[in-house]
Amino acid sequence: MTRFGKKHIGVLALAVASVTALGACSSSSSHTTTPTTTTPGAVTQPGSVGQIPAAGTPSGTASSFTYALPPGAVPNWILPMPTAAFNSVFNVYNFEWQMWPPMYYAPDGSVPTVDASLSPANEPTWSNNDTTMTITVKPWKWSNGQTLTSKDVLFTIDEIKAALKQSPANWAPYVPGYFPDTISSMSTPNASTIVINMTKPVNPTWMVEDILGSVPILPSAVWAKASANGPILDFTNPANAAKIYTYLSDQAKAVDTYASNPLWQTVDGPYKLTAFNDTTGAFTMVPNATYSGPHATPESDYVGVPFTSNDAEWNAVKSGSVDFGYVPEEDVPQIPTLKSLGYNYYGLPDFGNYFVDYNFKDTSGDFNNVVNQLYFRQAMQHLEDQAGQIKAYFGGDGDPAYGPIPAYPQSPFLPSNAATNPYPFSVSAAISLLKANGWTVTPNGTDTCTSAGTGSGQCGAGIPAGTKLAFNLIYNTTPPIPQQVEDLASDAKQAGIELSLSGSNFNYMIQNYNDAASPANESKWAMEDFGGETDSTYPTQFGFLNTGGSGQIGDYSNPTADSLINDSISSSNPAAVTNEASFFTTQDPVLWQPVLDYVWAWKSNISATTPTAIENLTQYDDTPQFWYANK
Amino acid sequence: MTAYLLRRIATSFIVVIGISIFIFLLLHAIFPTPARVVLGLRASSAAVAAWNKDNGFDRPWFVQYLSYVNGLIHGNLGYSWADNQSVLSLFQERVARSAYLSGMALLLAVLIAVPLGIFQSVRRNSLGDNVLTSLAFILYSMPVFLLGLIFIQVFALSFPLLSFEASQSTSLLTVALDWRAMLLPILTLTLISVAAFSRYMRSSSIDVLAQDYIKVARAKGLPERLVLTRHMVRNASLPMVTLIGLSLPNLLAGNLVTEYLFNYQGLGLLFFNSLGKEDYPTLLAYTLIGAVFVVLGNLIADIALTIADPRIRLA
Repeated sequence: MTRFGKKHIGVLALAVASVTALGACSSSSSHTTTPTTTTPGAVTQPGSVGQIPAAGTPSGTASSFTYALPPGAVPNWILPMPTAAFNSVFNVYNFEWQMWPPMYYAPDGSVPTVDASLSPANEPTWSNNDTTMTITVKPWKWSNGQTLTSKDVLFTIDEIKAALKQSPANWAPYVPGYFPDTISSMSTPNASTIVINMTKPVNPTWMVEDILGSVPILPSAVWAKASANGPILDFTNPANAAKIYTYLSDQAKAVDTYASNPLWQTVDGPYKLTAFNDTTGAFTMVPNATYSGPHATPESDYVGVPFTSNDAEWNAVKSGSVDFGYVPEEDVPQIPTLKSLGYNYYGLPDFGNYFVDYNFKDTSGDFNNVVNQLYFRQAMQHLEDQAGQIKAYFGGDGDPAYGPIPAYPQSPFLPSNAATNPYPFSVSAAISLLKANGWTVTPNGTDTCTSAGTGSGQCGAGIPAGTKLAFNLIYNTTPPIPQQVEDLASDAKQAGIELSLSGSNFNYMIQNYNDAASPANESKWAMEDFGGETDSTYPTQFGFLNTGGSGQIGDYSNPTADSLINDSISSSNPAAVTNEASFFTTQDPVLWQPVLDYVWAWKSNISATTPTAIENLTQYDDTPQFWYANK
Repeated sequence: MTAYLLRRIATSFIVVIGISIFIFLLLHAIFPTPARVVLGLRASSAAVAAWNKDNGFDRPWFVQYLSYVNGLIHGNLGYSWADNQSVLSLFQERVARSAYLSGMALLLAVLIAVPLGIFQSVRRNSLGDNVLTSLAFILYSMPVFLLGLIFIQVFALSFPLLSFEASQSTSLLTVALDWRAMLLPILTLTLISVAAFSRYMRSSSIDVLAQDYIKVARAKGLPERLVLTRHMVRNASLPMVTLIGLSLPNLLAGNLVTEYLFNYQGLGLLFFNSLGKEDYPTLLAYTLIGAVFVVLGNLIADIALTIADPRIRLA
């Protein structure tokens, strides 16, 4: 899943990563990290804010926990097959997955990897050169008492295909030419096994984490119908599958019936929806008594509380009116007061990155030729004062980032060269690089190419003598981006690179300063900072940095990058995505920026049976089935 | 009067159509299609094209406009792809809440400001007048946001007497009865309006008190109470009629900042959020209805003026 905009996306680059679960804490599932402790029994990790205290003694009574939904984050789509238009983390993580978890659930706490215990399917086995995938589903129960079967998986995939036949926008993870287009046949040899044959090999981890990790299983015995009281249809008939999809999506459009429509009461997740306010988006869920996955006992109700503004949400935290609330960026300085208000707090960066995009098609001032030079991009990266920005603009609540895979939260795919800064902040290093490549550097002026050509010590292909290093940078005016780009411009000026700053807004930028969407504006922008992007747990940059990728902004194109990305999605090499990330860390196809922590506060009388159920709040995820009230 | 009304209604109709075309054009000039915002940056070009086709954005703008007007004629304000609801239902859910908040604030503001303005004019330059003038200036210059924050901090957080947020109920009756939740937002809006209204009322009353007919009334020995109630109040209130008329659109618009601050789902906030999401159908419907309310507010103010002051004749 991809999320755009300025969010709490972050990276921490330290050599040793650790997530700890010590002492009285229940163990988290499968961390392979080195413990770091503060208070015995507490959970913390480098780069985090606050800590998760040792779990308290359960009161033994069920509660009702309120969870703050950020402004504009209220659920508005219930069918667990999200269209591109409704594919928000708030619809998916905080709402749909509570009722229908995906086949492979991620993250595992704050670690961007699959949590097998929360996944209704076992890890697939692969054969035929990674073109055949065999999946067995666990014998979990639907809330109507029936058992999950391979037929349900078959139904789910057939419905995805039916949805895509109506419109490619009907299933968010869809990329033309990939799943499910590549499926040549499917069979269900027994009630728990499905065999999927594909026309070309895929990387197993990519398929599991990035594709099937977005696919909840649908209850075929209840949903395979075309009307409320109609018969269950043979969904393997494409015409029937289309009718079923039309019916299900129509039901999902009736927002005011979410809590009353019996269709949505058949779930395999930990919760069932009992109330939904279609004006405010507030909802209440109660435990699903037949839930087959792990959970606290007794389980508590889960109540989503919407807010119209960060101020309103923060007031709710300050007044103790919400059990789980986030700390808005502007209120980070008030974090120390949370303890006295009766809250614990914990923050980590969301798994992803922030960056300034380069436009490789901007011919004005020969920027396309300039930015094609690796030394220029390296010089720019040297001018990004990440530590200074974190201190000055993030209130110290952030971490540096050096490539597409952040060091924190810890990913198993982190390349070694992204653990420390390959291009540390240094104006003199930037100047040296420029001088060594044919530029006459004028600190606080404008550098000029004085040695044109493609040889060693020359400016590079397509850069005529006299070319100036003066370009524009369009930025999203959401803080702290303005401060960050002003800082960059100030540092760049010291190296003789003149950046003309111009403010805009996210929506306008992604439509108008986007080479694919707005080719007429190709030469109107050199650089832009619209925010950042959250990585999928298998963090390939497929779609973002491959040639012609649908998420390309500035048309970066590099044959080596394309080959590495192709490996990431189609080879069986387990190191493929690490190799890809290593390349991008060195190549700087964008200018990597530091990132903010996403801090959550929860009442100090609340614990979780596993600390991952608190850690994952920092990843926009929540698993309330593990929360309980202390004595 | 009838001819005037008909003429005004016809003019208003043309104004509303003009506004609708202008807004439609403006939106399409800035964003020919919101597909990229709706579908996300990584949506494939095929998905974008399919979405545009499904939502009619692949047609020329005037065809889209005519289609929109056709929908309006049939009572269809469009469908919000951002909220996954019909625009009509979005409005229906919020209009009463916004009207209650704004209406109560307006009513209270008038009830407080009119006597306050009169008092200040009668006792002008007295200690009371100076104190009230100072207070009015402070409130008038204070952003609604700041006043609301101060109220929340003092009355909901430091001294938890009232709720930090407005009522979350969708039942207007429950909202209206929940005074603990609604007092602060209503008070916030009221005080800001009182500051403005009372200044107008004071100024207008001072003007009226200087008129010859007031002097004549006093010379005739009419008691001061009757001078004020019979001769001054009605005349001094004329500017207030215009002000109140112009405030009517706020009943629709809600009060964005207050709704934002007090976690109150109203129409003002709906418009604000729709702007951020480029939710064309909601924006268009809101703007159109807003235009209707502005035109209506002016019309009502004009008619009310003729009733309040028979010397004014509508030609």
